[in-house]
Amino acid sequence: MSQIALFGNPNTGKTSLFNNLTGSYEYVGNWSGVTVEKKVGILRNQKARVVDLPGIYSLHPLSRDEGVATDFLLTEPFSAILNIVDASQLKRNLHLTIQLLEFGKPLVIALNMIDVAERHGMKIDINKISECFHVPVIPVVARSGKGVEELVDVMTAPQQYEQRFTLSYGEAIEAAIEKIVCCLPEPNGISKRWLALQFLEGNERVCEYLQGQIDMKPLVSIREMVEENIRLIQPTGSIRQSIHHIREMFIADVLKQTITIAREKAYTWTEKIDAIVTNKYLGIPIFLLFMYIMFMLTFDWLGSPLADLLDQFFSGPLTNMLSRLLSALGASVFLKELILNGIVAGVGGVLVFVPQIFILFLFISFLEDSGYMARVAMVMDRLMESIGLNGKAFIPMIIGFGCNVPGVMAARTIEQPRERLLTILLLPLMSCSARLPVYALFVGAFFKSHQALVVFSLYILGIVVALLLAKLFSTTLLKNEHSVFVIELPPYRMPQLLTLWRSTWDKGKGFVRKAGTFIFGGSVAIWLLSYVGPGGLNVSMDDSFLAAIGGVLAPILAPLGFGTWQAGASLITGFLAKEVVVSTMNIIYHAKDADTLQGLMAHYFTPLSAFSFMAFVLLYVPCLATVATIRKETASNKWMFFSIGYALCIAYIIAFSIYEGGKLLGFS
Amino acid sequence: MVLTDLQPGKKAIITNLSLMNEKLKQRLIDMGVHEGEEVCLKCTMPFGGPVMVEVSGQCICLRRKEAACIGVE
Repeated sequence: MSQIALFGNPNTGKTSLFNNLTGSYEYVGNWSGVTVEKKVGILRNQKARVVDLPGIYSLHPLSRDEGVATDFLLTEPFSAILNIVDASQLKRNLHLTIQLLEFGKPLVIALNMIDVAERHGMKIDINKISECFHVPVIPVVARSGKGVEELVDVMTAPQQYEQRFTLSYGEAIEAAIEKIVCCLPEPNGISKRWLALQFLEGNERVCEYLQGQIDMKPLVSIREMVEENIRLIQPTGSIRQSIHHIREMFIADVLKQTITIAREKAYTWTEKIDAIVTNKYLGIPIFLLFMYIMFMLTFDWLGSPLADLLDQFFSGPLTNMLSRLLSALGASVFLKELILNGIVAGVGGVLVFVPQIFILFLFISFLEDSGYMARVAMVMDRLMESIGLNGKAFIPMIIGFGCNVPGVMAARTIEQPRERLLTILLLPLMSCSARLPVYALFVGAFFKSHQALVVFSLYILGIVVALLLAKLFSTTLLKNEHSVFVIELPPYRMPQLLTLWRSTWDKGKGFVRKAGTFIFGGSVAIWLLSYVGPGGLNVSMDDSFLAAIGGVLAPILAPLGFGTWQAGASLITGFLAKEVVVSTMNIIYHAKDADTLQGLMAHYFTPLSAFSFMAFVLLYVPCLATVATIRKETASNKWMFFSIGYALCIAYIIAFSIYEGGKLLGFS
Repeated sequence: MVLTDLQPGKKAIITNLSLMNEKLKQRLIDMGVHEGEEVCLKCTMPFGGPVMVEVSGQCICLRRKEAACIGVE
C-alpha cells in the first residue's frame, strides 16, 4: 500500500485532518506541538496509508519533534505529500510548501481555515494558487471534515500530477547547486537539487545524512565559496538569507495574484480575551483561579458526590449480586474470597474515582483545545526563567497532571536539549491522575472539611519541589546553555463538545484500561500474597507473605509516621501504578467500601501521618510506565535510574520534614 | 531603537535581527518575523517577563531581553 505523508506548520490542523481522512482518533489541541511522534492510519477508501507528522515551520529541525518530520522525509518510503496550509497564515506556510515541492514527490495542498481567513477580510483565489505551484489545491475544513472526500479522491487518483515546480535562486547559488549535484551519489528517490539546496541552507540533518555516504570536504568548500561571494555584495548576508529572501519574493508575488483584501481586519475576540488573561497584573491570578475552580469541581462540588454514588453501588448492589451469583454457581470459598475481597475490593476501589478523574481530564482537554495553553506558558515564563527552564516546559507539566507519560513525550517540543532533559526528569513530580485516588481516599478519611484545599496543597507541593529542584539541577548538574523561549499564541477557539468529549475519553480510557490490566493483576497478586504465608493457606493477614515483605520497609518508614507493614506493602505495589496503593489498602484492610476503609484507617494513621503519606506517594518513584518512557525519551539508563533515585531521596526528606516538623508544631 | 522601546499597542518596522541568538533568529524567521515586516508590541508581562508581539496577523511571545535585540524603526 502506498504511503502519503502529512506535512504542515504547527497548529494548522494536521491531526484533525488526519482523523477525518482515516476515521481514527488521535489527540488534537490548539497549541503548537501536540503531535510529537508520527502516527500511521489508513485512508477511508482503503487505498493508501497516511502518516501524520509533527508540525514544522521549515525542514530545519530545531527541536526533537521537528527532527521526526525531517527524518521521515530522508529515510522512509512514501509516494506523495499532503501539505496542509493555513489559509489565514499563507505567507509563512508557503515557505514550507516550497521546500516540500523541491523535494520532488507529487504533492497536494489542503487549504485549511479559509473561514478564518475570510473573517480576517481576505478573499483567496484557490485556482490561482494551484496554477502558481502546478499542484492541486483542495479547500478543506479539517475540524468538521468538509472537503475531505474530494481530497481523498484527488490523492488516490491514478494519474497524479507531474511535479514540475522549480524556483531559481540566482546565478551564484544555482551554479553551486549544479556543482554539488555532481558530487552526490546516485538518486534513491530524493531529489538531488533538494539535497543540494538544503545542504547550502545549512540543514544539519541533511548534512548528517550526506556524511554517511560521501566525502563532505568538496561540498563544504563549495558552500564556503558561495558564502564569501554573497558577503562581498552584502556584508551581513548569508546563503540562508538569500534563499529565504528569494522564496519570500516568490510568495509575495503569489499572494499578490491570489489574495484580495476585502476589508480591514476587525478587532477579534481573541484580542479581547487576551487583554484580560494575559494582562500584566491579572495573568497569574487568573491562571491560579482557573486551577482552583478545577480542583473545587473535581473534589468538592461535583466529583466527590459522584464518586460516593459509585462507591455505594460497588459496595452495595454489585457486591451482593456477585456474592449471590457465586453462591448459586457453587463457587469455592477460595474463589469467592478472591473475587470479592481481592478483585472487587482492589479494582472497584480504584474505579470509584473515575468521575473525579474524568472531570480533571475534561478541564485539561479544555485548556488544550481553547488556545489558553500557550498563554499559560507565556504567563509562567518569567518564573520558569528564574529556575533555568522556559515557559514551554510548563505545558508538559500541565499535561503531566493528567498522566506523566504523555507529559514526558510532550517535552520534545522544547528546543534546548538540556532544558528538555530537565523537564523530563522533573515531570514525575507533577501529580498525575493516578495519585488522585490516593488523595481522595485519605482526604475523605482525615480532612473531610477541607478536601479540595488539602489536595490543592499537594499539587502545589509537587510544583514547588519541581521548581526548587529545577533550580538546583540547572545550577549544578545540568548547567544550562543559553535558554531560549519563543512560542506562537494561536487564536482562541471555542472547543467543540464532541472534540472535548473525545479528548477526555481518550485520556480517561487509559485509566479504565489500567484498571482492567495492571490493577486487576496487581489486586489478584496482592490478595494471594495476603492469603498465603509461611504457615500455609488462609493465614491471618499479619502472618502472610505480604506482611513479611511490607514489614521489611516498616522500620525505615517509621520516622515518616507510617511505619506499618501495610503502608510498606502498598508503597511497593504502588510502583506498578500509583492507584494500586489504594487497591492494596482496600484488600489489606478488608474493607467493603471506601467508608469502612476510611474508618479503619483511623487506627493506623493520624491526620499528620496521612498527609506525610500522601506527600510520600506524590514524590516517590515514578510509576513503571513513566520510568519506561523516561528511558525511551532520554535514551539513557543513567537518567532513568537518576529519576528514580532522586525522587526516593526527596520523598523521604520531605515526608520526614512534614511529619517531624508537624509534631514539633504540635499537630498530630 | 529596539522593540522593547515601543509603547504597548504601537507599531514599527523591523530593521535588524543580526544581534539575535542564531537558533532563535532561525525560529523567528521561520515564523515570519523578518526585516521589513511590521511588528506591533501587544503587551509585556510583569517583572521583566516576556512580551507578546503581533507580526503579519499572528501573535508570538518571546523574552524581553531577546526582544531587546530586535532593531525597529
